[in-house]
Amino acid sequence: MTRTHCPYCSLQCGMTLVSTSSTTGAGSTTGAGSTTGVGSTTGAGSTTTRRAAGLEVQPWAEFPVNEGGLCRKGWTATELRGHRERLTTPMVRDRATGEIRAAGWDEALDLVAGRIKELRTASGPDSIAVFGGGGLTNEKAYQLGKLARVALGTSQIDYNGRWCMASAASAGNQAFGIDRGLPFPLADVEQADVVVLVGSNLAETMPPAARHFDRLRGRGGKLVVIDPRLTTTAQRADLFLQPVPGTDLALALGALHLVDAAGAVDEEYVATRTHGWDDVRRSVASWWPERVERVTGVATSELRALVDLLTSSRKVVILTARGAEQHSQGTATVLGWINVALALGLPGTPYAGYGCLTGQGNGQGGREHGQKADQLPGYRMIDDPAAREHVARVWGVAPETLPGRGRSAYELLESLGDGGGPRALLVFGSNIVVSAPNAHRITRRLESLDLLVVCDLVMSETAALADVVLPVTQWAEETGTLTNLEGRVVLRQKAAEPPKGVRSDLEVIAGLAERLVSTPSTGSGTDGPTFSTDPEEVFAELGRASAGGKADYSAISYDRIREEQGVFWGSPRMFTESFATPDGRARFVVAEHTGPAESTDEAFPVHLTTGRVLAQYQSGAQTRRIRSLPDDGPFVELHPMLADRIGVRDGEPVVVRTRRGELTAPAKVVTTIRPDTVFVPFHWVGANRLTNDALDPSSRMPEFKVCAASLGLATSSPSGSDYSTTDRAAGLTA
Amino acid sequence: MVGNGMAATRLVEELVARVSAGSTTQEWAITVLGDERRPPYNRILLSAVLEGTHRPESLTLRDEQWYADHGIDLRLGARVLEIEPRLRDVMLVDGTTVEYDALVLATGSIPTLPPIRGLVRMDGTLHEAVHAFRSLSDCQGLLAAIGGLDTASPRGSAYSTTEGRRAVVVGGGLLGLQVARALGVRGIATEVVEGADHLLHRQLGSAAGRVLARDLERLGVAVYTGARAVRLTDNALRLDTGVTLETDLVVLTAGGRPSTALARRAGLEVRRGIVVDDRLTSVSDPAVHAIGDCAEHDGRVTGFVPPAWEQASVLAGVLTDEPVKYDGSRVVARLRATDLDVAVLGDPEAEVRDGGEVVEMSNPVRGSHRRLVVRDGRIVAGALVGDLNRIGLITQHYDRQTLLGPTEPGELLMTERARETVRLPDEAEICNCAGVTAGAVRACASFADAREKTRATTGCGGCASTVRQLVAEQSRLTPEGVK
Repeated sequence: MTRTHCPYCSLQCGMTLVSTSSTTGAGSTTGAGSTTGVGSTTGAGSTTTRRAAGLEVQPWAEFPVNEGGLCRKGWTATELRGHRERLTTPMVRDRATGEIRAAGWDEALDLVAGRIKELRTASGPDSIAVFGGGGLTNEKAYQLGKLARVALGTSQIDYNGRWCMASAASAGNQAFGIDRGLPFPLADVEQADVVVLVGSNLAETMPPAARHFDRLRGRGGKLVVIDPRLTTTAQRADLFLQPVPGTDLALALGALHLVDAAGAVDEEYVATRTHGWDDVRRSVASWWPERVERVTGVATSELRALVDLLTSSRKVVILTARGAEQHSQGTATVLGWINVALALGLPGTPYAGYGCLTGQGNGQGGREHGQKADQLPGYRMIDDPAAREHVARVWGVAPETLPGRGRSAYELLESLGDGGGPRALLVFGSNIVVSAPNAHRITRRLESLDLLVVCDLVMSETAALADVVLPVTQWAEETGTLTNLEGRVVLRQKAAEPPKGVRSDLEVIAGLAERLVSTPSTGSGTDGPTFSTDPEEVFAELGRASAGGKADYSAISYDRIREEQGVFWGSPRMFTESFATPDGRARFVVAEHTGPAESTDEAFPVHLTTGRVLAQYQSGAQTRRIRSLPDDGPFVELHPMLADRIGVRDGEPVVVRTRRGELTAPAKVVTTIRPDTVFVPFHWVGANRLTNDALDPSSRMPEFKVCAASLGLATSSPSGSDYSTTDRAAGLTA
Repeated sequence: MVGNGMAATRLVEELVARVSAGSTTQEWAITVLGDERRPPYNRILLSAVLEGTHRPESLTLRDEQWYADHGIDLRLGARVLEIEPRLRDVMLVDGTTVEYDALVLATGSIPTLPPIRGLVRMDGTLHEAVHAFRSLSDCQGLLAAIGGLDTASPRGSAYSTTEGRRAVVVGGGLLGLQVARALGVRGIATEVVEGADHLLHRQLGSAAGRVLARDLERLGVAVYTGARAVRLTDNALRLDTGVTLETDLVVLTAGGRPSTALARRAGLEVRRGIVVDDRLTSVSDPAVHAIGDCAEHDGRVTGFVPPAWEQASVLAGVLTDEPVKYDGSRVVARLRATDLDVAVLGDPEAEVRDGGEVVEMSNPVRGSHRRLVVRDGRIVAGALVGDLNRIGLITQHYDRQTLLGPTEPGELLMTERARETVRLPDEAEICNCAGVTAGAVRACASFADAREKTRATTGCGGCASTVRQLVAEQSRLTPEGVK
């Protein structure tokens, strides 16, 4: 029996894995292709547990975040084990023929290291780039940043977390001097009187979190949901506001306008705990309700109802998620809502405040330990000399050898190959072809590289383009820590042996490092940098590297995590006395609404927004391969009025076009979406061929959540579309 | 810049933004001349201050420090006496002069005084019971007169001092109705006098105007249309219909006209407003520009903030040599008054005269009148009274000139209906988290049984009520019961 955490979202639900094999002795676990646990379960409870490949998921009722609850992704998480598409040997492509063949580990790693050395000699270290992921464990994220800075010597490293909560991170740093998703435990929302969710569909994206919001309502608290779609989350709201995509900031400005107009500003809090209110107050004077209504499409009566709730209690929590953040003005949008929270005196007071609902499994930890282009471990900035000094000492290198700031995620990918930037890319824990905006363009950039190396479990859409594919261990086959959306560091523990032939990401990193670092990597540390493959050792080193930084993990150990059901870095409840700014005060920052980068026009008259469905996670590389999870492919959600306008009926194929690409998928006609907006889930290839790559000036977040699109009837069936039958075959169940 | 209202403030902001963004390299020495003695404020919220929903302090747009911080010479209480275009300077009443390379006139409008005998005293001042409603000072004067000076009080609290007091609002336009409603909210017995045969006659047809009058009367405000005030005595206003309204207060909101006296004296071309071209430049003098209520572009003067702001934005571009043009604005007029719902898009009366197709739904029983004027599949104007359902969508379609399908305008006017509850088919998935169908739950004996067997309700818990209902439904079905 192993206590661990779900492989997917940032909630990191606790769960118990039980081996169903009758012979559970060490080393005896079967590998790929093992039989399911026939006849191995008891009678009565047999329908309540899901099992595959000898592991079954059972509740871990004591873990406070999910209290034993899981969504169907969690219940079925072990089904990916033993999947017939699982990669178990490195693959190498012959550039001349395009053929891909199995190779040994030494051959593959030698080849990668050899090509990297050639490129580095010819074009310098910045010709090599690394792309990480927000799903990687803290240990991997840390080690990846070290690989880039120490073994490759490149500044060109970033990760897909830029496409997650980066706008909230940027806003949090500006306003509070620190970036932690939630500055309080999630369960605190139960004790609030009002919770406002801006652009979160948590009932689908992190279902077990919804229990806390249901308890809030059970206590008589009110839930407000702001979303262009009446989602399953919005259906349980006491107040639902349905703005035009890309106008959440105008709504925040309008809310603050009315808060000030009503005299509901907490003047004492503002005077003693913040700076900058006067400028913000003036800036919202021109956002009266009727103007907000015209910009946002939210009726003045609804805005007033929101403000009545906001000003009804001191226990108000405002939470943003991707809906508010994935915009070219995402940082400003979050700042707009933080300003509302500060004016009401919420942050740092009990059962109140602002928070961001991080998305990816290690969205929080993944951004703290150095896989971001501008950061070193512990949330230190790479251009801070003291930070460089400290980290270089831990790494056993000279500070001046550390490269500087690199390109942000989208800019990095956009610069690859033909783009004039790096010629080689190493990818860990990311499926760029599906998840990058303006995916056509980025795919072309990937194809123009001299060398693309992808580490993955299966032949993902990105791995399929690679020169070298390295098969890595998966979730239950390895140990590591993740930091959930609350800043709670949790431990995922190994519960099964990996198939023969795969290695952990840490082993891949060490294998490359030993081939690339000139000093011996096996020494005592004084001889130069070392790259351990033992997660607990790496975590201890991460602790030393982060010591004294904003996200300081030095006091956390695996033992403590096991004993305490996770350990918060910093205080579980932050800002009670002061903020993490030099003078301890929070900052109001003026946020001006400029609107989406691309407006609707004659040719592209509807808004397109993208998002998630319950049964899939991110690019679907894992969840689309789990038989018990329905995979019906993408769809185009639209309102009956819009459906009538173009003459499409529910289920019929419809084409969505933008300036960047097109997608054909069945229409899903629903009354729950704004009639001027269509929605496409992004888990399948296609949605991100449509999305806009306009970036937020500070977080460098692309505008996934709104662009201008046109709609039309498809002339052929969806199978002839972008969403090819081969993409789909992999996930089909029946 | 002559004027310190909302248009001028927006222009200054736009110029400052361009300077700090580095998009202009020009060195600016900006002087703002405002005749009011206070920093600029959001004038359109004055009726909200009167009503008590806004504190006066929250109206300030920029304080004096902000101008100082950006090196702008803000002169308050500075009245301009004369513009001297040949010398390129303006002279203030205190005798000082300010030179300019570019002069922006943003002088707004001035209220017109209706021809009522007794309104103006022999010495030229207004009768003590009479109030204009143009500036924050006017607003505060009126508040003082009704004893509602304690403006920090939340709306809805009692204003005992207003008890038994009466007011007459002269003018049944947007401002008049807002003021009337605000006074009504303050507990003052209020009546509205409008010379035309219905309220908001510039925006609404007579049917909509009548519905509006009824809505207003339902809120306790009496309406007299087709009636002109002709004589003010000490405590009453006499109408030309023979009616005499006893009153303690008279508020004048009967329209305004562009403030053009300075421009006219300076020899600039003025018709209803100061005539400007697509670059918002006077057709008589390339160094002079006009924006906002005082400007006339393409034969039109506006009286609203959004067009003034669009003009300010364009003029900022013009002044920094951007190739921008002003080609008119789409106006959405919204009445700002509690429980009185009116929105007017564009100029519905004119669009109807010009052959626009009218899609209309009138429900006098409910007190609503909704009209869209459609041309070539696009909403070109509209008037919504008494029911603003879907307002946020209708204005989006209007602003973006969305090409609509033939049934859409009609659907937009229908009230949204709550989704009906239907019996869930067995194959309907009721628990997304665990992927459980209604049929699977119906097969369970109890809530706990369903939870145990299917895992429904154990994820997000959102299906709990549905599961309870399905289980209860099942247990009610006795063998002889309905199928």
